[in-house]
Amino acid sequence: MAHSDDPSHREGRYDRRELLRKAGAGAVSVGVAGSGFGQAFYGPLRFKGRWLKGDLSLITWAHFVPAFDVWLDKTWAPEWGQKNDVQVKVDHILNTLLPARAQAEVAARNGHDIFFDLAPRPQFEDNVINHREIVQEVTRKVGKIGHIAQKATYNPKTKKYFAFSDNYVPDPVVWRHDIWNGIGVSPNTWDSVRRAAPKLKAAGHPLGIGQSAELDSNMALMSFLMCFGSFVQNEKHQVTIKSKRTVEALKFMADIYQRGETEDIFGWDPAGNNNFLYSGKGSMIFNAISATRTPEDNKLPFADNLWIWPIPKGPHGRLGYQHVMGSWWIWKFAKNQAAAKKFLADLEINYKDAFLASKYYNFPSFPGAFPFAKIRKAVAQDTHKPRGKYGVLTTIAQKYTTNPGHPGYSNAAFGEMFSKFLIPKMFAEVSQKKMTAQEAVNAADREIKQIYAKWRKLGKI
Amino acid sequence: MKEKGLSYLIVGPFAIILAFPFYVMVITAFKNRTELYDPSITPYWFGKQSPTWDNASYLFHETQYPRWLANTAIVGVCVVAVTLVLAVPAGYALARLAGRVGQSLGVGIFLTYLVPPTLLFIPLFWVINQVHLQNSIWSLVLVYPSFTVPFATWLLMGFFKTIPAELEDAARVDGASRLTTLTRVVFPISVPGILTVVIFSFSLVVNEFVYAFTFISPSDHKMVSTGVYTDLIRGDLPEWGAIMVAALIPSIPLALLYNTFLDRFIAGFTGGAFR
Amino acid sequence: MEAVAASRPRGRRLTNVFERPGVFASVLISPAVIFVLLLVGGPLLIAIGLSFTNATSGELHGKWVGLENFRNEWGNPTFQQAVWHTFLFTVISQAVVLVVAGLLAHALTKNFPGKWLLRFLILLPWAAPIALSLMVWKWMFDTSYSIFNWTLVHLHLYKPLEVPQYLAQPKLAMASVITVHAWRIIPFAVVIFLAGLASIPKEVDDAAAIDGATGFRKFWSVTLPLQLPIATVALLFGIVFTATDMAIVYILTQGGPPPSFSTEMVTTWSYKTGIEAGSLGPGAAISLFLLPVLAVVSIAMLLFARRAEVS
Repeated sequence: MAHSDDPSHREGRYDRRELLRKAGAGAVSVGVAGSGFGQAFYGPLRFKGRWLKGDLSLITWAHFVPAFDVWLDKTWAPEWGQKNDVQVKVDHILNTLLPARAQAEVAARNGHDIFFDLAPRPQFEDNVINHREIVQEVTRKVGKIGHIAQKATYNPKTKKYFAFSDNYVPDPVVWRHDIWNGIGVSPNTWDSVRRAAPKLKAAGHPLGIGQSAELDSNMALMSFLMCFGSFVQNEKHQVTIKSKRTVEALKFMADIYQRGETEDIFGWDPAGNNNFLYSGKGSMIFNAISATRTPEDNKLPFADNLWIWPIPKGPHGRLGYQHVMGSWWIWKFAKNQAAAKKFLADLEINYKDAFLASKYYNFPSFPGAFPFAKIRKAVAQDTHKPRGKYGVLTTIAQKYTTNPGHPGYSNAAFGEMFSKFLIPKMFAEVSQKKMTAQEAVNAADREIKQIYAKWRKLGKI
Repeated sequence: MKEKGLSYLIVGPFAIILAFPFYVMVITAFKNRTELYDPSITPYWFGKQSPTWDNASYLFHETQYPRWLANTAIVGVCVVAVTLVLAVPAGYALARLAGRVGQSLGVGIFLTYLVPPTLLFIPLFWVINQVHLQNSIWSLVLVYPSFTVPFATWLLMGFFKTIPAELEDAARVDGASRLTTLTRVVFPISVPGILTVVIFSFSLVVNEFVYAFTFISPSDHKMVSTGVYTDLIRGDLPEWGAIMVAALIPSIPLALLYNTFLDRFIAGFTGGAFR
Repeated sequence: MEAVAASRPRGRRLTNVFERPGVFASVLISPAVIFVLLLVGGPLLIAIGLSFTNATSGELHGKWVGLENFRNEWGNPTFQQAVWHTFLFTVISQAVVLVVAGLLAHALTKNFPGKWLLRFLILLPWAAPIALSLMVWKWMFDTSYSIFNWTLVHLHLYKPLEVPQYLAQPKLAMASVITVHAWRIIPFAVVIFLAGLASIPKEVDDAAAIDGATGFRKFWSVTLPLQLPIATVALLFGIVFTATDMAIVYILTQGGPPPSFSTEMVTTWSYKTGIEAGSLGPGAAISLFLLPVLAVVSIAMLLFARRAEVS
């Protein structure tokens, strides 16, 4: 395990800093002149005549529901800031760029106080505080942390909460009821999906379970594996992908592809499967409710025929990952850790507003913050047809959602396998008949084991 | 006559192919969203509810787009200035004067290109923080010349080499010092080269992404590329129309500008290479 | 030259120092060199240092592991394929650029009506910020909304579910990224070639005319030699830029499509490993593979450009 109190470790850092200081010396004069000018542009006027407990800076994603960002930036953060005498500044960037930004901030030991990503990043564990305090404070007020968030943000080896999760997003299937009705089937089980596949394609509306190098495909395929009882790792974080169940799952999906899907599914980015649905071509995709909200907002003709259901049932049951999990963390070098902790705690305690502002996208990681019963009541108010369609999200959240890495905890090795799209690769090998299912599993097993070995050696698992 | 026909035959199709995506941009920029998502409406033209200003309105009212344009323009002009100041003398030196040491230095600065910015951006961000330029557009004015200067230097070297040494020798025989020769004889002739460097440096600034995104987080300080890309793509929902408007607005004036510069090359050399 | 220097009055001895070519050259080159080295040198050394450690996730230091990262990463089949893809991508796109830009530049030296407008159209791809113009390409290649496929279906050349998928088929995906890359570079190459042609001084041109050199002979013995230094540097820049730029592949294909990942380049693979997964040391090692290769290419081409003298 990497110890930051190891003296030789620290000395190495000092030497390099010195080197860089010399390199940067020439630039200082320019910097001094420039920074003054830069400050003039930056930030609103401070509250006049009030004693500030400092500033608080956050960075988060550009939420797919713009109204949420408006709520966060213009309602929640300023109001909280006023109540607590803190000036809050929120920056937004595209979610795919958050990891890069995070690393840069770590390297510079400078950046935002609170950092957000759509997945907890265990690899930053050594650079963040222990968020236990926040978890305890929120537990005191609204009850225990949900089991998914617990597994995703807690490292049992170091006993540290390396992130604070405020929300997660249940992952349903979104399907065209009118089209499926036409062939008299519904996507209740993967068996029915498989039977329906060729008929749907013949009707001109193939399925769209992605096998691309992107997030949605990762989520869909790994959830699919779980429905067949196949898991990438076990509780002890050993790689368990090599099993008969994985082989069975691969063959099953290959069959669905060959008879009921098109090449589209290999060339997507996160918006690809959405476009597949919006163009009217697709009969079913695996996606969060952005896939229904956009048709509603843009008045697409079939918006009322889009149904939301849990992941179809496989031989091992119905189980899926959350689509994304909102995770905040406070850097060790954050300048205002006290304010940061309070901000996050207050955010979660009052999560009802966030949930509603996000149009039901953000489910609170602490269920007590907005209990499921109350959520059901709230979503029943949604007027989009079919009425009550969003109610199923609670069922999915309660019963059919688990954390990436289940039955183990999320960790950096799992994350690297994820970033390299090894699961979509494995499925695509079989779907495109480039390898047999067994060969593909063996190859994936080898690659994944290498990654796990590397991180295990670093002491991170 | 035949030559002109041949020119049309070559230039015409390529011009159409190169500009075709911009046609798609224009249509998409002014198309109503519902129609954009409707495949039964031709992508080559508008439907009944288009053209519309909605996308442009969104871009200008719901985002900081004008600020981004301004930021990019400022950084662009400054970087071009710095690049010229550093690269013009260096390029001349490489072309005419440099002995072994100078040559090695010249090659050395080019080697800094060889490591991708995706690797350098993290340590560079550390440097930027040390000089307290994070979140400031001046961090980019500081860093960008590091990759405009090497190529500009070598490019100018190439241009200076096309100027025969006899021209300079003639000036020196007339009693001019090296400095005077440089400013009175060489630089005026190398205007095409200098303008090329201006175009190149400015376009690199406009296109650069990794550093602009890393060094600057607050929306009001972003560049055009990073601002549009990071603020207008929301998870799995790009604001297609607004993005297209955002893409068109800098492109057209810049292309006009570059086109005008090209005329400057030619204007100075009537009867030179061009008949 | 010495005679001229000696005949100058003593008071000008100081400025005489600048008359020595070597010194003058160093004075002219040093600002550029100092600036670049100061700014980039340090980070570059750090980046190289990182590759010898097991650094993760933004830490600029780690435990020294010697050549282990290089052994592991350079031995990885995905990496090796990425090298091959990078080579293909670079060579093919630059070849296309050279040929097309050369043709266009030559054709644009003649005057014909509408030339200004056509040149404007040709310049557009370089003028547009790439991150933004990539979005229109994304839209044009979209598996559901592609304008190309819409056209193909409406011309009854393909059935709706059987259209080509430009980012989903391995060879097509590579062709697509090559096309987009060449598309954006061609205008700039045209500018360089045009500028080069324009800077041939009148005297040289007249001399060639007097000697009776026209057409191809003129191109071969006058235009080409004069263009060589510029063209070489431009080509070198194209090569280096193509090999080290990630934007097009990252935004269009993310290195896919599975299972062959035919568009995975060294840059995207390094980014996935080092930045997205947090394995900085190995990520740096991957990136640095290009360094010696490109260094050799660069030095060779730069020396060639420098030696291409005008007589």
